[in-house]
Amino acid sequence: MERERMVEELSKIVGKENVLSSETDLFLYGYDASLFKAKPDCILFPGSTEEVSQIVKFCHREHIPVIARGSGTNLSGGTIPTRGGIILHFSRMNKILEIDIENQRAVVEPGLFTLALKNQLARYGFVYQPDPASEKVSTFGGNFAENSGGPHCLKYGVTTNHILGAEVVLPDGEVIQVGGKALDNPGYDLTGLLVGSEGTLGIATQLTLRIMPKSEAVKTMLAIYNSLEDAGRTVSAIIADGIVPATLEILDKLTIKAVEESVHAGFPLDAEAVLLIEIDGLKDGMERLAERIMEICRKNNAREVKSAKTEAERTQLWAGRKGAFGALSRLRPNYLVCDGTVPRTKLPEVLVQVMEVSKKYGLTIANVFHAGDGNLHPLILFDERDEEELRKVHLAGSEIMKLCADAGGTISGEHGIGTEKMKEMFFIFSPQDIAAMRKVKKAFDPEDICNPGKILPEVQA
Amino acid sequence: MKTEQLKTLFYDEVAKCNHCGFCLAHCPVYTVTGREWATPRGKNVLVKAIIEGKIDWTPEIEETLFRCTGCKLCTQTCFPAVETNQAVLAGRECLVDRKQYPKVVDRVVEALETHFNISNEPNANRTLWMEKLEDIPDHRFQKEKARVIYFVGCVAAFYPMAHKIPQTFVQILHKADVDFTILGGEEWCCGFPLIQAGMKEKMQKLVEHNQEKVKEIGAETVVFACPSCFHTWKEKYQTNAELLHSTQFIERLIGEGKITFQNGADRAVTYHDPCDLGRNSKVFDAPRNILKRIPGLNLVELEGNRQLSVCCGGGGDLEMIDPALSAAIAQRKIEEIQRTGAGEVVTSCQQCIRTISGYARKHKIKLKVRDITEVVLEAMGSPL
Repeated sequence: MERERMVEELSKIVGKENVLSSETDLFLYGYDASLFKAKPDCILFPGSTEEVSQIVKFCHREHIPVIARGSGTNLSGGTIPTRGGIILHFSRMNKILEIDIENQRAVVEPGLFTLALKNQLARYGFVYQPDPASEKVSTFGGNFAENSGGPHCLKYGVTTNHILGAEVVLPDGEVIQVGGKALDNPGYDLTGLLVGSEGTLGIATQLTLRIMPKSEAVKTMLAIYNSLEDAGRTVSAIIADGIVPATLEILDKLTIKAVEESVHAGFPLDAEAVLLIEIDGLKDGMERLAERIMEICRKNNAREVKSAKTEAERTQLWAGRKGAFGALSRLRPNYLVCDGTVPRTKLPEVLVQVMEVSKKYGLTIANVFHAGDGNLHPLILFDERDEEELRKVHLAGSEIMKLCADAGGTISGEHGIGTEKMKEMFFIFSPQDIAAMRKVKKAFDPEDICNPGKILPEVQA
Repeated sequence: MKTEQLKTLFYDEVAKCNHCGFCLAHCPVYTVTGREWATPRGKNVLVKAIIEGKIDWTPEIEETLFRCTGCKLCTQTCFPAVETNQAVLAGRECLVDRKQYPKVVDRVVEALETHFNISNEPNANRTLWMEKLEDIPDHRFQKEKARVIYFVGCVAAFYPMAHKIPQTFVQILHKADVDFTILGGEEWCCGFPLIQAGMKEKMQKLVEHNQEKVKEIGAETVVFACPSCFHTWKEKYQTNAELLHSTQFIERLIGEGKITFQNGADRAVTYHDPCDLGRNSKVFDAPRNILKRIPGLNLVELEGNRQLSVCCGGGGDLEMIDPALSAAIAQRKIEEIQRTGAGEVVTSCQQCIRTISGYARKHKIKLKVRDITEVVLEAMGSPL
């Protein structure tokens, strides 16, 4: 369809002021936080479920791809319009619709920032547990699509464990309700299927979330190591001891350096690794538990273990973790995050192998990761403007994914597959597995309208 | 500036932007528009694309680059600290070179070239604010020699809404026995609007004139109540004189015992950090220290305070270029102020006052908006 006519038709749905189609705007909606780029045909800012439904019906009728987008913070190219089409930017649908403290639920629109809800919940002493590093700007629609994680997901589970229901516009434009405020909905668990489907099965227009009372007490500790392997071993030892901390996060030497230059979190520059441990729960017994954890750290060669004395100290330590990715771009202009997961006990050996990949390609790799989940985040640092280096980065990234898969792990902990890791899907799935998933996609979206060309690689017949 | 120069000066800077999008949480222009073009990330990407020849200087790029308040909250909260505003200003210089910029800018340039002020009135009118003052000394605060120069600034001198600032500040200085002068009709615009307009090469004449005046008067110190004049002098001027903002100077006078507070008032106020004073010139404590010394005054901080203060909407020539956008940002600012529960906001910038109180007045919102000099004079007791 000609762009002019498309814009005219769509303007009737959302109003002229909510359509962008200039060359500049197409450029501006062609990237996210990944390395991929493509141009959409136009960008819309829907204001209601009804508008989204009408837009999708139009796309369905005209066979035009439609891609939902929040803040565009995703790291696997999930929002890149690889086949052109229409971008739905949800910045206008960003309200909190309901905070239901008694039932411990909140209902929100997809464009709401995660932290914006958390700030409101704090007034009631409540919290929404998932905490992606980008939470100050990541939207609930994006969290839903990518099944986002975050440090605290070790104890509390990822996004899918906190989304209980959703209003969803299906690829033919019909609006359905999946799940809801109650637990244990009968029928197929479509909520579970849709969370993490990266916008390929439908578009969420309203989300029902689980919210929880804030923990009575929290304790944040920092263990400092002269070896990265020892930090990795500590993680396994803590879990093996039957303890489930809220977070277990490791930052390696390179990351420490970058973080200290950027936010001054108080990490020692001569350490090989730091382990950031947080426990939360009841006040009673917390000191004892902390002591047990510190003892395990020391047994595993931590040279020093300290705990945050004040809320300010705690915030400071977390600022270091949350700012790690960005801080690394002080060292080189760009980075690729390899979001692989391995069984926890394999962490030390896989880390060593990652470093071998670094040497092999002559690329700098920093490590900052959700160690408790075995979720590695090797960051390959480079300069996108150097084409040869960029080529090596893609090869090294793929190789690291292979290492994770071979170690019995998987190729995405929380960032999704998107555009980036489609071919790596074969590292963990057989053609039959992929074909089964494709059947699901076909059942929902036979015309391949919703975020086409993502997640599932082509299976050779 | 030519595109090639843009590449030499800013390619590495904008290449540091990883499109992480964290700036979307902070940028006041994005907060009210919800459009990617408004984001610092988008601006970095566009400047980079221009440099790489992937996109031309489109009308939308002009619109985008001229819609930045220069508040620099993006750089403050950006982990690699990308200097987006610097790239934006350089981009504006390129646009000016191509004669592709908002026409309203020409009016200001013409005013500056003809009258050396932004309001296009004869420069002698710079002292009209004085007419409301009674019992002032014969020299009318204009002396040939003085230890201190009070650089009033165009907005405070020409816009009646801001006249209270020079009116109160000269009284404070006079009561504190400071040997000071203003430059009157010999004060020329500091050049700030030209930097924002992408025409910084045109400011040299203004800079040289003002620098010369400081020499003639033999001043040791130049004091500014306008954070943007203050910041511009600190960045672009070469002078041996000490440069201080009014809050720093008042704090000093309190320390020397030359200012004492007689009048207290039990009330809660909040303080808005002007971008050019706080984040951009690192003056955070002086205004707070002053407010804390005033008996009975209870300072309630805004959610975004000090380094994280959110722009009022009046920065970077935005009020001139897109008044509606500026007002939308002001509305957010007022909502943030109202959430503190204080019925009064104190700040140290005439532009912030104009933007905030202008919006409040237009929308009949009950809110007291005052410059810190007014609060200080009131607490000092009887006027001149």
